[in-house]
Amino acid sequence: MNALANEEVGKYLNEYYCSSFQKVATFKIVGGQKQGGNVAAYFCAPDGRVLHCVAGPVGGDVLLREAKWVVDSVKKTLADTKGDGAKFKAAWRTLHAQRLRDQYGLAVEAVTVDVTEQDPNSALTYKDPSGRPIAPKLPPPPIDGPDVTLQAKDLAKRQNEAANAPGAMPIGDRKGNRWVLGNDGRVHMLLAAHSLVKIEKVYGTVFENILNEKISTKPVEVLTPFPWVEKQRAARNLDGIDRSKK
Amino acid sequence: MRSLTLVTAASLWLLPLLAWSGEKPAKPTDKAEPSGSCGTSIDFFDSPQDAAKQALKDQKLVFVVHVSGNFEDPRFT
Repeated sequence: MNALANEEVGKYLNEYYCSSFQKVATFKIVGGQKQGGNVAAYFCAPDGRVLHCVAGPVGGDVLLREAKWVVDSVKKTLADTKGDGAKFKAAWRTLHAQRLRDQYGLAVEAVTVDVTEQDPNSALTYKDPSGRPIAPKLPPPPIDGPDVTLQAKDLAKRQNEAANAPGAMPIGDRKGNRWVLGNDGRVHMLLAAHSLVKIEKVYGTVFENILNEKISTKPVEVLTPFPWVEKQRAARNLDGIDRSKK
Repeated sequence: MRSLTLVTAASLWLLPLLAWSGEKPAKPTDKAEPSGSCGTSIDFFDSPQDAAKQALKDQKLVFVVHVSGNFEDPRFT
């Protein structure tokens, strides 16, 4: 919310993007304290296919940096691929894999060919009560291992940065080695295989697998765990007589 | 009395013509406008579909924020 209130961010986003928002989850307010809740920002093509995502709350500088990266990379990739959609998708996924390698020193192979989609009208497709297919949990591509061009010291430095990133969690590679990645690292890992797919296919994975937040259409729940305390206070304040003691 | 009735009827019939100012009615525009900023510095469209339609016309990209709670109400964001 703070990042979105930043004037520089607003100016840039209003110039290069048309913006909107959607409610996808809820949280509880228990005794005045917020429990749960999260945010994810998606940068998409005009047809709703996801180019990039910022998972979780970030500062204005990070949001602006990512918004600029998307605009600059789209321009460059469009020029490089000369408007070929398949080449653009392959190049875009490779860009995410490259960012994961550059920032966190981990190598994944970008998935440049999509598998056949499941038929949404099939009787075997699991649907929610409104009849829509459930947002799928997309598998991220496996980590091949560390970037072998890096010195051990450089790899350690990048892994330290990943360990301090928001949402840092341990993650295994193909050979069983343990590494660590934050929200942004896991977003790059996911989008190295699933960028340029519709937002409704990606958001479930981002919200539930990366942010560990349950998707929900329920309204915000305001709970007061000890309602009798408020009643006693109100009774005392009404006329100065403590009616709770009898 | 009859002439008064005739004058009244004629003036009532002419009223819509007199009221016409000569200007053509404004055509409904197909350009969607952002509906608000919800306390941020970003102009938000009502839905991602509206934003996408406008983005296609303006040669822009689409920015969609997924939130928990009610974004319009600062108490529930």
